[in-house]
Amino acid sequence: MEESAPVIEICDVSCSVGGNDVLRGLTLQVERGEIMVLLGRSGSGKTTTLKLINRLVSPTSGEIRVHGVPTSQSDVIQLRRGIGYVIQDVGLFPHFTIEKNIGLVPRIEGWPAKRIGERVQELLKLVGLSQDIGPRYPHQLSGGQRQRVGVARALAADPEILLMDEPFGALDPLTRDELQKEFLSLQRKLRKTVVFVTHDLREAMRLGSRIALMEAGKLVTVLTPGEFVQSEDPLASAYVRAFGDGLLSSVNRGTS
Amino acid sequence: MRARLTLGAMVLLLTAGSSCSYSRTDRIVVGSKNFTESLILGEMMAQQIEAHTQLKVERRFYLAGTYICQQAMLAGRIDMYPEYTGTALTAILKQKASSDEKAVFLEVKKEYENRFHLTLGPPFGFNDTFAMEIRGEDARRFNIRTLSQAIPYAAKWRAGFGYEFMERPDGYRGLAAAYGLHFAEPPRVMDLGLLARALHEHQIDLAAGNTTDGLIPAMDFFVLADDRHYFPPYQAMAVIRQETLLLHPEAGPALDALAGQISDTDMQGLNYEVDGHHRDPVQVVREFLRNRKLIP
Amino acid sequence: MSVLQFFLQNRGQVLELTLEHLWMVGLSTLFATLIGIPLGILIAHRPVYNKPVLAGANIIQTIPSLALFGFLLPLPWLGARADRLAILALTLYALLPIIRNTYTGIRGIEPAVLEAGRGMGLTESQLLRQVELPLALNVILSGVRTAVVISIGLATIAAAIGAGGLGEFIFRGLAMVDNRVILAGAIPAALLALLADVGVGWLERRLQPR
Repeated sequence: MEESAPVIEICDVSCSVGGNDVLRGLTLQVERGEIMVLLGRSGSGKTTTLKLINRLVSPTSGEIRVHGVPTSQSDVIQLRRGIGYVIQDVGLFPHFTIEKNIGLVPRIEGWPAKRIGERVQELLKLVGLSQDIGPRYPHQLSGGQRQRVGVARALAADPEILLMDEPFGALDPLTRDELQKEFLSLQRKLRKTVVFVTHDLREAMRLGSRIALMEAGKLVTVLTPGEFVQSEDPLASAYVRAFGDGLLSSVNRGTS
Repeated sequence: MRARLTLGAMVLLLTAGSSCSYSRTDRIVVGSKNFTESLILGEMMAQQIEAHTQLKVERRFYLAGTYICQQAMLAGRIDMYPEYTGTALTAILKQKASSDEKAVFLEVKKEYENRFHLTLGPPFGFNDTFAMEIRGEDARRFNIRTLSQAIPYAAKWRAGFGYEFMERPDGYRGLAAAYGLHFAEPPRVMDLGLLARALHEHQIDLAAGNTTDGLIPAMDFFVLADDRHYFPPYQAMAVIRQETLLLHPEAGPALDALAGQISDTDMQGLNYEVDGHHRDPVQVVREFLRNRKLIP
Repeated sequence: MSVLQFFLQNRGQVLELTLEHLWMVGLSTLFATLIGIPLGILIAHRPVYNKPVLAGANIIQTIPSLALFGFLLPLPWLGARADRLAILALTLYALLPIIRNTYTGIRGIEPAVLEAGRGMGLTESQLLRQVELPLALNVILSGVRTAVVISIGLATIAAAIGAGGLGEFIFRGLAMVDNRVILAGAIPAALLALLADVGVGWLERRLQPR
């Protein structure tokens, strides 16, 4: 496989859910090591696009390829184990300790207990949590701590791809800001291929290497943050106006 | 984790504990149905075994009917109980009754042994079947002893029957057909308990009761003989689990000693002692067995 | 002789009938669990079967118990022995609470948890065993508790068809017009029901997911 081949390819995909056309003719590529932000309002189809990648949703027509292999042809379980998935409500297993939550995939993949323990320690450090969080339960943690665990869990088996669906949306602005900063520094270290869904332009500008703007199931345009602010596309400029001034300062620095 | 272990342990204990039955190696359980006569017979069987063997006897009396007793026997919850040949034949074996006493007994014994691994003890000596009762004074006045002899008088009589006798095909309808009986008016249907009084007080002239009814001698009633052998035999005997006899062979002779010991009249008397004089069945039975030198 | 003396004097028979009773209740609850939990899982995952299954179990529950015993009597093999019949009937009555609680327990799990589980690459069976069932366990147990308490009560009626158990004391006592005998059956039955309720309730609380 060439170094420069896109990791994720979405080829002319349409998706109908319950009689509604959620996506129409979507074509998009995600390059290795980039953070592709899917930006749009509710109903734009961004979450559905994300779920197509790990096959939580199936397309009505078109093809999705991950590492060059169509997802329809791969074993769905193996596919998902190779992709980290972080969602807004986190979805930590309430009956497992934090350690068990993070170590779940390694455990079912059959890693030796010692290796799992070490990995959990490593990940807790990576996401900025102290080691004594390990034996606690999700209900004992704050929202911010829980989402950090969510990210740690997604990274446990060291997947190449990370899918994130408005992961910081439910947090207060201060915590959100913290986590965004830390996520950026994490990404500098790890260089994952990330697809990130949000409706917040500021977040998109801060984190994204590219922004895919979506509206009503269609891809409107794909631009870098810098291009986005100056874009003449009506929807893009509407967004820029809606989010007010000083956006340039949010522009992500030093991703690729 | 501990809670899961507890759950598992509880389930195991429950199933294990309830499947191993309470030790039966030295006990016999005697059952009976829920009417006086059955109770007396059950008590008799129990006292015989207690007096002549080392076995402990547990009583499980007042079981609510033939079906219940049969189920209890099959499940091994009781080892024996008193039954009637006619009832066994029609209610359990679901066959048509004939009037040949001996044939019925042998048929029941054979079927019970083959199908249920139950056997019959020898008959106790009486037949508890339907009794057509008239007042003693009428029997003497008209000098009649059998049902056939009563036919000409029937046209002037009023009859009283219990509900069941009226409804059963082998009850009134069959009887009337077998003897060509016709009464002055349709028979009065009344509660069994009231029949005796009604007969005594001339409200009715003929009643359907049981041959071993205690009130028969007490109220000077006379049972007309069933000379055409319409009614099936209801000989009383013990029904016993074969397994019980294998485990405790000494119980067999103890029960066999009761063979032929109780006549129709004897049973009437025993029933009356309990129902009429309200005496304790245990005492009544003990007295009877002592008088017959069956127990010390 | 007081009730207590009667108990002591006949403790052998009380124990025996209690064990008969427990056997009926234990076995039927076990069967109902083995059938009901999988059914509950099925309808939780495929809601299309939800209505027919729950409606079916509901209909069985509405049939008066003595009538159900009567319906089942003519069955071959099962109807030949009253205890088999009683266990069948008790199993049927225990189904609804168990199916319904399994369904509710699983449906009550936060959707994000299930979504995260699937997204992580857990197979359906791993999701069921490691996530759904443990999280639904105490609701399911609550259904089992209801089933056990109902069964202990219904098993007393089973004595009417000859299945034995503590109900036999009650029916015999009625025929003998002897309160002590009635109580010899009624009191242990009530105690059993209470014990089951408290005991399983304790387990439920211990197994509650945090």
